[in-house]
Formats: sequence, structure tokens, C-alpha cells
Amino acid sequence: MIRLGGGSTIGRVVATEALPAGPHQFHFWTAIDTAIGIGAIVRVDAENGRTVYAVVVDGRAYSDLATPLHEVVAAEGDPAGDRAPTRRTEIRLWTAAVLRHEPDEPIQPVPLAEVLLATEQDVEAALRMDGFVRGEQPTGIPVGVYRAGGLSAPVSLDADFLLGPESAHLNISGVSGLATKTSAVQFLLSSIFQRLPSHKGSVAALCFNVKGPDLCFLDQPAELPEADEELYHVMGLTPQPFEKVRYFAPYKADGVNINTLRSNAEVVGDVQPLVWGLREVLDYHEVLLNRDDIDAKADAFLDFLADRVVDKQFRDEWGNTHRVSSFAELHLLFKAIFDGLEAAGRGDSWRTHHIATIRKVRNRLLNISTRCKGLVTDDGTVSDLPFGQFEDRSVYVLDVSGMDQLGQDLVFTRVVTRLREHLERGDLGVDHVIVFVDELNKYAPADGPDTYVRKMLLDISERGRYLGLVLFAAQQFRSQVHRRVVGNAGTLVFGRMDMDELAMPGYQVLSPATKIKLATLPKGELMVRHPHFTQPVFVRFPRPAVLQGPAGVKRFPPAVDVPFEEAVVRQLTALDKRITPARILDRIAGRREDDVRRALLATARTRPDDVEGYFTASLGPAVRREAAGRDQDATTPLRSVEDPYAT
Amino acid sequence: MGAGALLTHVAPPVASPFGSASHVEGENVQAIDVGGPAPGPQAVAFLDGIQRYAVEGRFGLIPVVRGYAAAAVLGRQGAELEVARARQEEFLVVARSRLTPDQERALEDVDLPIVECEAAERSHPILDVQLAAKEVERCREAVEAELAAAHIEEAPRSWLVVDGSLGGIGRLEEGARVVGLVKSHETQFLEGPDLEVALTLPEGHRTSVFSRSAGARGKVFSFYLRLWPWQDHDLLHGLVRIERPPGEAAVADANEVSRWLLAERAPLSAPDGRWDRLLYPIRQVETFLRAQAGGWW
Repeated sequence: MIRLGGGSTIGRVVATEALPAGPHQFHFWTAIDTAIGIGAIVRVDAENGRTVYAVVVDGRAYSDLATPLHEVVAAEGDPAGDRAPTRRTEIRLWTAAVLRHEPDEPIQPVPLAEVLLATEQDVEAALRMDGFVRGEQPTGIPVGVYRAGGLSAPVSLDADFLLGPESAHLNISGVSGLATKTSAVQFLLSSIFQRLPSHKGSVAALCFNVKGPDLCFLDQPAELPEADEELYHVMGLTPQPFEKVRYFAPYKADGVNINTLRSNAEVVGDVQPLVWGLREVLDYHEVLLNRDDIDAKADAFLDFLADRVVDKQFRDEWGNTHRVSSFAELHLLFKAIFDGLEAAGRGDSWRTHHIATIRKVRNRLLNISTRCKGLVTDDGTVSDLPFGQFEDRSVYVLDVSGMDQLGQDLVFTRVVTRLREHLERGDLGVDHVIVFVDELNKYAPADGPDTYVRKMLLDISERGRYLGLVLFAAQQFRSQVHRRVVGNAGTLVFGRMDMDELAMPGYQVLSPATKIKLATLPKGELMVRHPHFTQPVFVRFPRPAVLQGPAGVKRFPPAVDVPFEEAVVRQLTALDKRITPARILDRIAGRREDDVRRALLATARTRPDDVEGYFTASLGPAVRREAAGRDQDATTPLRSVEDPYAT
Repeated sequence: MGAGALLTHVAPPVASPFGSASHVEGENVQAIDVGGPAPGPQAVAFLDGIQRYAVEGRFGLIPVVRGYAAAAVLGRQGAELEVARARQEEFLVVARSRLTPDQERALEDVDLPIVECEAAERSHPILDVQLAAKEVERCREAVEAELAAAHIEEAPRSWLVVDGSLGGIGRLEEGARVVGLVKSHETQFLEGPDLEVALTLPEGHRTSVFSRSAGARGKVFSFYLRLWPWQDHDLLHGLVRIERPPGEAAVADANEVSRWLLAERAPLSAPDGRWDRLLYPIRQVETFLRAQAGGWW
């Protein structure tokens, strides 16, 4: 047994028949004026060489007053009367939950001995960190600083249990508005990037920015108070913004103004448009089309389209050859089918698919490009994440905050599925990807329909750790998230909690005092549960050294939406400050907007050295505009009085 | 039903029901309104003692009693009580004159001091133990007296409130800041109208100071003080008798002492059955001593 020594005596274990000392919980008293409180770690040394580490989970103070009536009698009913010359004897009685016995066996009741305040070494031993923060291949990832009785000691998580393969995933709960959840994840990502050892491989993070500017300025430094600098110092970390951050955001409905709050000219150059075409959407039609619409027949027709038509040479019965790669081309295919059937005089089915099913699928699919305008294009142009080329210690931010729920679901599903596919093949570019999702209760609710997104989140939470696909998720109320998604998170983090939430059955394991502490937790403090910690531990974490959303918006005010031509100039200028706006305006004058968009997207995706030249080349030679634009037809969903499913 | 406690047995006889007294303050005993409670002195301490005994064994019919006596002084700093000094003694009590040399040697092998007690003319299983118990009581009084003397010597400016009579506390200088607080009224020193005035004192009143004999120590000054109203209770409810070393100061300070003792009613020492007469700090000394006594409790 290792006698760590040190620590100052702060109390004594007491045991009565009514309050016995057990192997997992015991009680001790301290002086009235004591340095400890709920969450403090203590040590008890038995005379036989055993050592017990424990965390304070409850505290009581009481006097020898038998009934309040005695105080009333003594004061003669006057609460404002003279103060009693002698203060009643009081006691501070604490309850502690055992974190660790040394030696581990046999597990015995806690000895009735002195209680000492834990030292830094004690904290390490109590939380079993000695097994993973030292040695030849340490895997400690600092998560915060334990503070009690003047001691500041770093607390680390085990990377094997945070990123896999032993267990994985992190779930953080807390009330909104305190900036705790997002800040904690930003700090932890920074900690992982700085401290994940090389033997654990490479890691990247993919963050879905689902609201406001929360994650829009991760590359921008922030001023930190001295207290936060000190916390970084205690943990051996450097307060610095993320070095490699790439932002992705869809366009707004106009197809040219980027849909993000990081649209200021100074920083928008780092934002790459996120644009998908038919193929990117069709594989995830389950996300976009609700189950009431898509029955087995519609499903079969969708499979037919995906397998036999899209991105293939397809020849119909009327002699037309189609190559469908975009929604516009899909529209032409449907038109050809309906025209052909009408001309042939048989209007009931085509290739075993009933005409009503075909009409329904057509309407639902073609409406997607309208409903997700800005993300989904009619013309098949694609600007996507660099799947296969993810870089170590990089953050990829997908700003979907400006999208509706449907679009967010689509982005989330497709991106995570692609990540999983690449990780299964081992060709993503990194060994681990941390996916950060806020508002998890929206994507994996405890009740409600069994959506494709929820099924996928369940799959990640249950299988992700073997692949290196790690879910960092946040929500206000853990009880509103699917139990299996939360249950598979190896590490649970709690910020300030709502009392109603703490009354839910999932929190019964916490003592009343711990719950009250959670309900009043100050900003910057967390309660952490981790496989190595047998009891929850309270830690302080520093503000992330990155510009927070509101401050970022203040420093880089979002650009207002501008007309098409001006937006094109602005985006090209963001890529290359040397560009002359007048020349760009001259080049796009009289050109079709779709052609300009395509050229702009290609330029933004490629980021060439010669932006203007590349853009001009992508734009191609000018052609005379036709009187009736084909694109206009393509984006208008068909409507027919014969179509019972037209919306 | 009256206000008194419901009883079932005849109370044991009072050992000394009467004592003598003489008037000091006035020609007869009068009820004096002390003017209500007032804060006490900054420096004040409280003294109490406890005793325990048990028959450890017998040599034939001769009981060997194991005795324990302890006393403590708790000083008050601000509103907090702290142990100023404490002492405890453990010993054997036996009628040594009745032991054989072998029995004496056997007792000496026990590593405890031996206190000799009076031997009754004839063996009596109860009376012999009572005689031993008296020795235990004497030991307790000696420990208390020792602590009181030490306190008075080291902190002469501090007041010392002693639980019980000053009779056992050695000889005290005139004007010594020592107060004896007697809660039991087995011995009555007044009689006639004086006694009636004393036993029917209204709340917040004291009697005139009188002098009572204190055996070998000569005399002490004393007066009654009503801490709580007795109406609806018994005559003795809330009634304490205060003892002071004899001297003019005892008369001059009587109102002031009474007023701060009235202030000591809070906090209440309930649920102790003697809460109407037991000051909370004295109770705390008792609590401390009982905790110290450990296995003797």
C-alpha cells in the first residue's frame, strides 16, 4: 500500500447504530469553520495501513436545540430581543461517498479514524488517475481543476474511455444561457488536441453549429482573465485558439449570400459553401420524406431511381436517353415519363410502378430543392466536406444554424453517415472524429417517432467507439434524450441543472446536497462522471481561449445581404483582396445566375491562387440568353389537377 | 390536578432540611426587582463536576468501589465556550481497615489510587456502598475546588459561576468574583415570612441578601433569584439560590449579578428537566464532562 502522506486533519469519522460507517459511505465531523464543502475529496488512514478516499456528498449542521419552541421560550417570543450570551453548541456532520479503497481488497467499512483533506497526490489516487496520467503511455486528458481547501489539482479523463476503444462519447447537460455547455466542449476539444498522445493516433472534430454564432469564431483568440490563465497553468495547457478550423455553411435561398453569422468580409473567406446535389440527397431520402408519405411502393421506386437512374445512362421506352445528376435532370425524366405514358394512352403504371406512386415521389423529391434551397441545388453542383482528407487536430464547423430542422437533419445524417463509412474503411484521414452536436434532445428525443436521425445516433453511440467516431453531445435536459444514446456516453458532464430536471428518476443516485449544488452551480464549474471515477467529481474549467459567439459577432458584425452581383464580388474579394470589383461586375454582366453561382462555388471550393482567373475560366464564354429559361421550368414543381399528391 | 409533578413513591428523606441564616441586607427579607436582564461580564467562566461510581467487586462482604470524579471550567470568549481547564480522577474506594494484608496487596496490584472510606460498625451491603459513595463525592468536590482555586489565581478579574453551593470550594477572598448557583432547595435557611417572600418571588426579582452558615468555611452570602415565573408551576419553578463570598461586594453586586444571570436564561437548557434553573453554559460543562467520562457514562 502506498502511504501518500500529507494533508491536514479536518475531521474524524463517527459511526452510530443509526449512522454507521459502511464500505461505500461514512460520516465525519469537522470544526464549524472548515475549508471543505460538498464535492471536497478527503482521505482516511486506518491504523492497519488501509487508506480510504472519499468525496463529500452531503453536509448537515445542527445544534443541541430539541425543538424550535425552546428558542421561542428563551427569547420570550421576541425575535429582536437581546442575543443569547452563549452560542449553542453546533456540529458540522458530513457524509462522504467512498471513491477508492487501498488496498482494493477486502472491501471493509471505513475505519473510525481521522479525516484529512486530500492533497494533489490524493486526488490523483482517489480518482484512479494514477493509472493513466503517468507511465509509458499516458492517456490523460485534462478536463478541469479540482479545488477545495486551498488546493488546486488537475483532473484528467482517460482518452481510452473518452475516445474509445474502452468506452467513448461525452454527454453534457445544463440549463441554457450560461454558456457552460458549449464553452466546456470547446475547452475539452482544445485539451484533447493538445494532450492526446501520439500513440492514440490522430483526431479531428466536426462541430454542428445549430444556433447563433456559438462556434463561428473558434480560430479567433480571446482575452482571458488571470484566474482562467491560472487554471490552464495548473492543467499544463496553453490557452490558445484552434489553429486549423474550416467552416462550412450553405447559401441562403438566394443561392449567393452565405447563410452564416461569420459573414463579415474579414472572416468570411474561411467559410466554404456547403452545397449538395441530387445524389447527395437521394441516399438520405428517409430523412427528408416522412414515413407517412413513403410506403413500401414509394420506397421501391426511390430505390429504382437510386440504383438504375441517377448518375447512369438511362434509356426510356420512348427512345430518350437520360443522365440524371441533378434535380433539373430528374424533373426532365419525370416529364418524359408522364408525356410518354400519356402519348401511349396507358396511364396506370410504368415499369411496375403505379403512376400515383411516381407522382408522389416526384412531388416530394422535387420539393426538396425548394425546401432546402441554399443547401440543395437544382443543377448538381457540389461543395462538400473534405471526406478522405481530414487533418489531424483540425476542427470542421458546419454552420447549420440558419437552416430549418429538415435541412439540419439532412446535413447531420449525411455528414455523420459519410464519416462512419470513411472510418470503417479507414480512409477518412484521421483515426478519431469527435462529432459535437448541441440540442441533442431535438435529434434523439426520448419519445416521439423513431426517426432516421435518432436511429443513426443510436448506432453511433453503440458502435462508434470501435470506429473512432465519438459523439460529444449537449442538451438542456438529459431526461429528454433517448436513454440508450445517453447511456452509452462513457463520460457525463453536468453544468447548472434545473431543479425539475434533477427530480427525474435518472438523478436519484445523487445526494440531495449534490443536487442542490448542481442547481446552483456557478458558471465555469462542472460535475463530471467518468468510468474511472466511482463518484461524480466537481471541477472548474477555464473559459476557452477562443472568441465566444456574441463577442465574435460584435467584433466581426455579419454582413448584410446584398444583391446578387454585389454578393459575388464580396465573396471573391474575401478569397482574394486584390480583386477589382468593377472587373468582376463586368464579367458577370448579362450572365445567367446559375452559371455565375456554379463558377463562384467552384472557385470557393478550389481556393486557387488566381481567384479572378479561375472564376473567369469557370464562368466560360458568354452565350446569348434564351427567351424562356430552362432553369425556371426545372425549379417549378409540377402541379396537375390529376395529381392527388401535389402540395 | 395541580401544577406539580405526578409522583408515586414517598420521596427519600432530606438529609439537612434546615440551616440557619441572618439578615445582611435590611431587617427582613424583601423581594427586590432587579430591573430585567442585562449583558454579563466579558470575562466569565463556568465550573461543574461529575462523579460516577460502581461496585467493582467485594472481599467477602466488603465492597470495593471504583470511583470517577471530574470537573471542568469552560470559559466564554465572545459567545463561544472553550475548555479552560479540566481534570479527571479514577480511583478505588474501600474500607481499608477491614481488609487483610493479602487483600490490601491484591488491591495495590490494581494500578489505581486507593481512597479509604469510613467503615460502618456492622457490615451492611447498602450502607457500606453509601459510605464509599460519600468519598467519591468528596473527591469530586476536591477536584472542583482545585480547579476553582486555579482559575481564581490565574484569572482573578474573570467571574466564575459554580454549579451548586460554594460550600465545597475552599476559602474565598472577600469580593472574589465567584458565584454559586444552587438549583436544589433541600436545605432551607429562611423561615416564616422571609421564607414565604423567597419562595413566592415574582419573575425577575431577588430576595435581600442574607448570610448562611457554611460549616468550617464560616459563612457565605446568599439570595434567591426567580428566573422564570412560577405561577402555573410549582413554588420552586425557576427559583435559584445564589451564593457569594461574604463581604460588602456581594450586596453591592447582587442586582448586577442577578441581571446577567437573568440574561443567561437564553439559550434554554431544555430538554434537560432542570431547564428552569440550569444555565445553558453549566449544562454544556456537564455535557463535556459526560463525553469525557466515556465508558463511565
